[in-house]
Amino acid sequence: MDIQLKRGLLDICVLAAIKSEDSYGYKIIKDMKPYIELSESTLYTILKRLESGEMLTVRTAEHDGRLRKYYHITDKGLRRIEDFKTDWKEILSIYSFVMKEDIGK
Amino acid sequence: MNKQEFLKELRKGLSGLPQNDIEDRLSFYGEMIEDQIEEGLREEEAVSKIGSIEEIVKAVIAETPFVKIAKERIKPNRKLGAWEIVLLVLGSPIWISLGVAAVAVVFSLYVALWAVIISFWAVFAALVGCSFGGIISGIIFALGGNLFAGIAMIGSGIVCLGLSVFAFIGCKALSKGILNLTKKATVRIKSRFIKKEGAK
Repeated sequence: MDIQLKRGLLDICVLAAIKSEDSYGYKIIKDMKPYIELSESTLYTILKRLESGEMLTVRTAEHDGRLRKYYHITDKGLRRIEDFKTDWKEILSIYSFVMKEDIGK
Repeated sequence: MNKQEFLKELRKGLSGLPQNDIEDRLSFYGEMIEDQIEEGLREEEAVSKIGSIEEIVKAVIAETPFVKIAKERIKPNRKLGAWEIVLLVLGSPIWISLGVAAVAVVFSLYVALWAVIISFWAVFAALVGCSFGGIISGIIFALGGNLFAGIAMIGSGIVCLGLSVFAFIGCKALSKGILNLTKKATVRIKSRFIKKEGAK
């Protein structure tokens, strides 16, 4: 897949993974696994990017005697997901046009 | 390899990056390993699932801006003494000009590289120009009564057009190759900076 496209999609996936409740690194990877494989290093980069873009905030909480970082989606992050949904409708209609032309031949 | 060994090795690989960045990454990977152990994996399994340190270090270096690495390298580990500051100021005519020279060398390398790419594309553009020019002036010649000269012009125009197609393929591959090469070279220069620091 095109690298720029994939990068954008992964950002959305990670945002979606923390949308309903705050989540942590390992759980994000685990939740996404049935849909898309993500390495730890890639996740780190995405989280940093989303944090600097103010799409999410980070808090550290104690878990089982050690520290764990939890990621919380911001309003900007939620809006990003909504934007993606609208964009996707457009992409789908382009896709159906491409497929129609293809079959037409 | 257990978690402690993994983190120690990773720290060694990343030394040369800003301290904050290193701690942040180490705590991230440490947390990942802990969480996998909590899921029931053995420590060694959890570590090996994270991937090889070499790969991680390479990826980190590639995405860290060069300025950040260079800054970390130049930054002294302790506070400067008064006499050192005096020396720095007195020596500024020398080190500032040396610094400017170094930047100029790097800049000129970039310019040279782009000049190569641009010159190849210029050849391509010239071929396209010749082909159209040849065909159009050939038609004018032919209509003007000079039939053979006209046909010869059109013919050479078509030859140029054909060559330009090959030139386009070549230029594209070449530009891509050169850009890839620069990317690799940058990573290598960056890792050299980091390695030196780590060896200290």
